[in-house]
This record gives sequence, structure tokens and C-alpha cells, in this order.
Amino acid sequence: MSEERKAIEVANISKQYGATTVVDDVSFDVLEGSIFGFLGPNGAGKTTLVRMLTTLIPPSSGHAMVAGCDVAKEAVEVRRLIGVIPQAMTSDTDLTGYENMDIYGRFYGIPARERKQRIQDLLEKMGLSARANDLVATYSGGMRRRLEIARVLVHQPKILFLDEPTSGLDPQSRRVVWEQIETIRREDDMTLFLTTHYMEEAEALCTQVAIIDKGKIIVLGSPLELKQQLSGQDIITLTLETVSTDIDDVLNRLPCVHKVYTESDSIRIAVDSGANDLAAVLDAVRTAGNKVLSARVHEQSLEDVFIHFTGRSIRDEAPKKVSKLSPGLLQRPGR
Amino acid sequence: MNSLRARILRLFAVVDRDWKKFRRNPIVIAMSILMPIVYLMILGNSFQGKLVGLPLAVVDHSTDPYQQQLMDNLRAIEAGPRTLVIRPVAEEAVAVAGVRTGKYKAALIIPPDFGTKMVTKSMPEIGLFVDNTDAISAETLRAAVNGAIGAINTDFVPIREAADQVHLRNVALYRQVDYFQSLVPGVVIMAIFLGTMTTGVFNIVMDRFIGVEEAYLLTPLSKLDIVAGLIISGLSITTIVALLVLSLSMVITGIPLSVGVGRYVLMLVIIVLTTLSLLSLMFTILGRAQHPRIVGVLSGFLNVILFFPSGAIYPLASLPGWLQWLAHINPEAYAVDALKSVLFKGASVMTVLPDIGFLALFTLVMMSMSIAMFKRTL
Repeated sequence: MSEERKAIEVANISKQYGATTVVDDVSFDVLEGSIFGFLGPNGAGKTTLVRMLTTLIPPSSGHAMVAGCDVAKEAVEVRRLIGVIPQAMTSDTDLTGYENMDIYGRFYGIPARERKQRIQDLLEKMGLSARANDLVATYSGGMRRRLEIARVLVHQPKILFLDEPTSGLDPQSRRVVWEQIETIRREDDMTLFLTTHYMEEAEALCTQVAIIDKGKIIVLGSPLELKQQLSGQDIITLTLETVSTDIDDVLNRLPCVHKVYTESDSIRIAVDSGANDLAAVLDAVRTAGNKVLSARVHEQSLEDVFIHFTGRSIRDEAPKKVSKLSPGLLQRPGR
Repeated sequence: MNSLRARILRLFAVVDRDWKKFRRNPIVIAMSILMPIVYLMILGNSFQGKLVGLPLAVVDHSTDPYQQQLMDNLRAIEAGPRTLVIRPVAEEAVAVAGVRTGKYKAALIIPPDFGTKMVTKSMPEIGLFVDNTDAISAETLRAAVNGAIGAINTDFVPIREAADQVHLRNVALYRQVDYFQSLVPGVVIMAIFLGTMTTGVFNIVMDRFIGVEEAYLLTPLSKLDIVAGLIISGLSITTIVALLVLSLSMVITGIPLSVGVGRYVLMLVIIVLTTLSLLSLMFTILGRAQHPRIVGVLSGFLNVILFFPSGAIYPLASLPGWLQWLAHINPEAYAVDALKSVLFKGASVMTVLPDIGFLALFTLVMMSMSIAMFKRTL
């Protein structure tokens, strides 16, 4: 990245539905060629933000430049330059895989010969060539997702937006989808903007990460930078029979303990090194009269970053029913 | 020039997508042709102009030549136009009770002194008990019995025939059109209505409901591309279905198919304009609907307010003022009028020009409104 050019510039963007603020004064930049991850629990405002950046919803205030064009004033230009995979499956089930891609290619005005070649290449890359002439209704969820990734690349977008691309897929399909996205990005030198609530995916892929909660960006940086903001290296998670009230004091007295997060039946302890400090921690807890049911050590992850900044865990909920209604209906106050 | 090529490519991609989806639903295709035909068969056979087979109880207390003549006349009606079926009953009370229970549509009581009074010309009276809750049957039977009495060559109440009576002779201006045939334009309009309800805007509402629409809004498709593309595909599908329904119902009702190329072209123009009117009307009303159920509810409603005051089954002149007002802005009324003129009267372009003009204007207004009102964002 010799010259740092911005693919996306967002300045003080907000979206209100009635009295409810879904996206609250969000600003950030995405550099060209980077993989920018937007993380947050369901309902944090990720999809609304993506829809504003991709011209589907007009922002209530603030503005955003995507691929050098204003999303509000130059929506048509933006649409030509970006590719978007919405959270919902959007391929037509009563068309074949090839037809889905062909019709899309025509929407972008790609001439017939070029279109045919590109579709065949993309289907090949996505491992769908053999099923190209089958109706999408016969595809599995993972195949359908791969077709949609292939379809969105027909017009060679500069920036690719992916809204929870792996939500609802099994772990195997998720891995395949990510591998293919990563391959294509490298080959075509695209900028990737993705949202996910799978922290480990974001950590493995993203060069930049923004954590969003309740419509606000809480923290922004590379996964490494974010983790460095946490004290300690590892996390020890203990499950106790009952949590005694003085447990915080007991643990904080230990020199190796950086921070203690008490939850209803478990405690998470940030320490210098899990391997070295586990014994001391267990001793201290037992001495205080607690019965330890289980102990687990893991390296700090983005999940812990989220907990650190929001004070609660990002629940890995089952993927919500894909929104069929407009966000206006979904996010009405008093829901 | 290049942008025009791109626009055409986009527009026909929308059309092609819709065609492909429609073609993959053969049941929808079969239904949209079959349903109007079934409609024709049911309407033509259940709701027809002349009533037949109405059960008439006859209590006969008299045995004289006049009574014989009356009975002969009734039997002639029974055998000829089959308006009524004679059911001889012995007791007056039984016959009236039968009318009350619905066994008979009416009871005719011929008094014992019928013949005597006929001879003495002292106004003989015949009792006719009718089930007047069924007004149409009652009226028909009353007319039939009156006819039978009137045919007895004597002057008496209730029908008085004067020698200098004006005789009305029917002069048919056009080839005889029976009720069955007169339904054909209405059935074609019905086919168009069904076609426009299952294509056009319905597809965008369905896409929206399934969540597929989002991906289409993310492409460079403009409002015009989406609305015009869906209207073009809806128009082509509906026109083909309407033409099939027209020719099938002409064959079924025995309208000669050899009406000349000119008339077919004119009918095609009327069908195309009617389809465009309805497609753009529905796009205006339903362009923002979120759920296909809204389309379902509205289609039933629209069918009633458009089809019944269209003149397809009942003459517009007989409607009350407010309904006539509705007919004045109803594209189906203009379509029925135009199709009837061309199909039954061999009307020229000039004759149906006002109808065609209205349909074209209606389409223009609705199309502009639908594009203006269509939302390109979520």
C-alpha cells in the first residue's frame, strides 16, 4: 500500500426511525485494498449502515463517499462501482445458476460475449460449473451463497460489501465461502467491507475492525491493536458452584491478574500468562471458599475486546430470520 | 448511443427474468387460460337470460273448454320455451304450502266457476300465489301465466287486447347474439384482469416479500427499467392468454371465426390497451405493497368494482347514477364496449376511437403515476 487511498469515507452518518436511532453519528475511513470488518451483535445497526453505504436507505444525516462518489447524490455511480451481498439470500430459485448470473450481467450492460466468458470463469472458481444449469431451488445453502458471490463479481466491483455472508451456513460452508472470498479479493485487488457477528472470522480475515454496539462505533483498529488495548495476554474462565462476593478483591490482590469480569455463574480473569498463572488463580479462589467446577484458558480474542468495551458478551445467537420487511418496519419503536 | 444499448439490455433482462419465471410455472399458465373459460361456462349456464324449469303447482277445480285451453297453453310453454314445469296438485292448501316451502315457485288456482264466468264475461279470476322472495322467478312465471291466459281467445282480466293494438315487430340490426355469446367480451376482460393480477406488480411484491428485491435495487436498474420491464413482460404474457381465451370462447359459443383480419387487429389493439391500463393501474396502487396478501385482498375488490360496472353482463344504462359514474372512469367498461362493437357489430376504428382514446389516456396517466410513486429504496 504505497499510497493510502480511501475506498470509503463516512462522516457523522446517522439513521433514525421515528424516535429510535439505529445508527448514531458514525465516522470512519476504509483504505483501498483493505478488509474492513464491522462487528457487533444482532441489532447493533450493521445492516442499516451497510444499506446506507450501498444506497438502499437514505441517511438521516451525515454523508458517505463510496468509491469516490457520494451515496446520496451519485447513487447510480456508486451502484456501478460496488458489489453487495445482502444478508438475505437473493438469488432467484426458479432460475438456473447461469441464468441468475446472466440476467445480472445484463443489468450492468456487459456485452454478451464478455458476459458469457466471465460467468463461466466465476462459476468455475466457485466450484459451481457442474450445477450451472440446474435451478437454484435445488442448491444447498452454501452453494446458493457461493452463486451469489459469483454473481456479484460479474461486473468486477471495486468494493465488495458482504452483510453477514456466512450467517446461517454450517461451519464447513462458512470456511469454503471465506476461502473463496479471500482468493478473489487477492486476485482482483478489491476492497472488502464485511459485517459479521462471528468474532473469530473477523479476527482471521480483517485488516481493520470496527466494533459497533447500539448504533455507535465503540472502538476501531486492527485486530492486533484492539487486543493490545486489553490488559493481560490470556483469559482464564472459571465456572464456580457459587460466586462469593469478595472474589473480585481476592483475585485483584494477585499480581498476575489484570482485570476480573464477574458474570452470573462464571468469572473471566485477564492474566499475563494462562499457563503460568492458572495455579495461583485456582489457589486463591479455593482459599476463598469457592468450589471450581471448570477452568478454561484461552488467548484474548476480539470477543474479549467486545466484552472489555461493552461489559457484556456478544451472544452468538442463532441467525435471525432474514429481514423480509423494510428496516422501517423492523425497527419501529416499542418493538 | 451506448447508454441506450445498455438501457435496452437492462430493460429486457427484467422482461426475460419474468418470462423465465412465468414459463417455469406451467400451472399458472394453464389456470390463467382455463379459469376465464370455466367462468364463461358457469356464467353462461347459471346466470342466463331466460329462466327455465320453474316448478308451477296447478290446482284445477274446473273442467270446461276454457280451462282446457288454458292448460293447453301452459303445456305449450312447458314443451316450448320450457319456462315452467306443471305439477298438478289436488288441494289448494297443499299447493300454497308447497310454494312456502320452496317446492314450487308458484301455485296457480283455477276456480270451479272459471268456464261459466268466461262465458258470461263476468271477469273470471284466477289465483296465482307466487314466491315473491325470488323476484326474478316470480316475474317470469307471472308473465308466462299471463301469456297463457291471454292466449285464450276471449277478453277478460287481466289482459285486455284491443283490436287496434299496436304490434311490435322486432327488427334486428345485427346478427342474432345470444346471451352466451354476449358474455365473450366480458370473459376476455376477465382473462386480462387475471393476467394483470398475476404478472406486473405482483412480481415486485413477491420479490420484496421473499427478500430478493434488495439485490435488484443494488444494481444500476432505474425505476423506469423496473416498472417498464415488468409491464412489458406482463403485457406480452397477458395478451397471449387473452387472445387464446378470445378464440377459445368464440369457438365454444359459436361466433364465426372468419370476422376478417382488420377486426382481429382492432381487437388486439383493444386487448393491448386494456392490459396496459390494468397493469399500470395496479402498479400505481400496489407499487409499495409489502406482502402478496395485499395483492390477493385487493384483486378480489378490484374485480368487483371493475367487472360488474363494466357492461360485460348487465347493460350500463340500467345502473344507478353513482354506478354509472364509476363506469365512466372504469377502463374495463370502455374495453367491453369496444370489444362488443368490434366483435358483434363489426365496428370500424372510428367507432371505437373514443374507447381506444380513453384506454390510451388512462394508461398514460397511470403509468406516469406508477413510475413517480415507485420507491427505489428499501
